[in-house]
Amino acid sequence: MTSLERWLEQATRCLSAESAAQVRSEIREHHNAEREVAMNRGANGEEADRLAVAALGDAKAANRQYHKVLLTSAEAKMLRTGNREARAICSRTWLKWMLLAAPVVALAASSVLLTRDEIAFSRALALGGITMGVVFAGPFLPVYTTSRARVYRFAKWTLLAATFCLVFAANTPKHLWLLASCLWIPVWTEWTRVSIRRKLPVAEWPKQLYL
Amino acid sequence: MHSNTRYMMNFKGTLPSLILQALANGPCHGYRIAQGIKARSKGVLDFKEGTLYPALHKLRNEGLVESYEEVEKGRARQYYRITKAGRAALAKDRAQWRELSRAVTTLLAEA
Repeated sequence: MTSLERWLEQATRCLSAESAAQVRSEIREHHNAEREVAMNRGANGEEADRLAVAALGDAKAANRQYHKVLLTSAEAKMLRTGNREARAICSRTWLKWMLLAAPVVALAASSVLLTRDEIAFSRALALGGITMGVVFAGPFLPVYTTSRARVYRFAKWTLLAATFCLVFAANTPKHLWLLASCLWIPVWTEWTRVSIRRKLPVAEWPKQLYL
Repeated sequence: MHSNTRYMMNFKGTLPSLILQALANGPCHGYRIAQGIKARSKGVLDFKEGTLYPALHKLRNEGLVESYEEVEKGRARQYYRITKAGRAALAKDRAQWRELSRAVTTLLAEA
């Protein structure tokens, strides 16, 4: 393995295949130009290689920088597979209508409970219905701009937090462990999406990144 | 240790502006941007190329530069050009830098 290959190996560690290929291509291009200049100044092939690789700097530092701006393999995987559920739902009409009907059923149940003076249950069910509605209707809503996406995400997270708080009411602090164990997956997913949003230009965002 | 370590530390945050400035005169590929900055600063701002490309990717993600491929001497090269938003960002950076450098110069002159 040449010193350039070793450098590239370190600099592209954990990057997605596409990002790694992009880095390899631009760094090789740069290395060749640097090598050519060194050889024109009288260095032999080995010396020119050494100088060109030295000019690239620390591969680990470059890897850290690349991680901030290019997709990692985990993020690329999430982009590939993260839309599976929405696609599965959208492609099955019965499932789509069932999920869209769930919030309506919850709201209807909430109004029935309200007539029976079960105010606490009714309130929690109403909020749960609205939250489900917002989450399930996401793929069908016209959220195609960054400002609409911000509004949608704000509504989604606020409703989700409000539902949990309302369900557990005064016992929320006691049940924080339950909240944490239920919410860590959506929070982790959202965190990864935030990172992807920063790395991809808005023009290249798939629908899932808006939600 | 590199003789320019102190400059390097201060230089890090200004790299995106320097890249935009280098591209303001016309499209360039990565190597020429690096050499241009080094030459115009008379060797003071000599940075490692491993940091140039991540900065270029960031600028592209933000829509401040665009990239395209062009063949030069039979080799395909990635060229970058500044966008309208990039020019606006550069003008803003220039104004901020002037203000900052004026303030620092005043303070250092007082010492």
